[in-house]
Amino acid sequence: MLFFRSEERVDAWCRAAGLPRRPVVTLPQLWHLATAWYGNRLTPEARRPAPDEMREIFAATGLTGAFWDPSADSFA
Amino acid sequence: MSAPGTELDGLVRQTVYRHVVETTRAPGVADVSAALGRDRTAIRDAYARLFARRVLVLAADGETIVMAPPFSGVAAQLRKQVGAKEYFANCSWDALGIAAALRADAVVHSRCEQSGEPLIIPVERTGPGPVPCVAHFAVPAARWWADIVYT
Repeated sequence: MLFFRSEERVDAWCRAAGLPRRPVVTLPQLWHLATAWYGNRLTPEARRPAPDEMREIFAATGLTGAFWDPSADSFA
Repeated sequence: MSAPGTELDGLVRQTVYRHVVETTRAPGVADVSAALGRDRTAIRDAYARLFARRVLVLAADGETIVMAPPFSGVAAQLRKQVGAKEYFANCSWDALGIAAALRADAVVHSRCEQSGEPLIIPVERTGPGPVPCVAHFAVPAARWWADIVYT
């Protein structure tokens, strides 16, 4: 989960590293994930989201498909 | 009735996070042992349970905290400035996660992984500033914990 200046930089990095291009997340989407995942992490009752909650968080962030399914065993 | 270790695990978890927030670094087993008045074996056992529940990530020694998400327990290139304190983050998501967890204004110090160009991202309590950048997720969600450090 690395930062890049632009999607073009992601493409160049993936080509150079011989890695598949995977989803790119915008800064506002990343903030949504950060607040949903970690907003209460310092409270005594905090816990990691369960798989169903993870799916809901991803969907609410606009991230859908098998890549974002915590129980998926295959993906494009 | 609570599961064995549940109450201690919660105390250990809170102690670890309190230590990280206050000092910006992960505590050693001895620190947590002293803070809670419990022997080191009990703390190590709690660490192991918290690792199994994916609350903490430990090194192979079973004592060194590599991650207390969103905080990194070890030095990393991704840094988060919150006031006078500088925290290490595990990844782009966690870099913003530190500000979300602390509910504080912060500045992310990172870089474009392709060009090496510095990326400085101010983050207010309402969100990050309009800095042109994106995050690439290389590993599908189902495989994150197969190698969470790489992820």
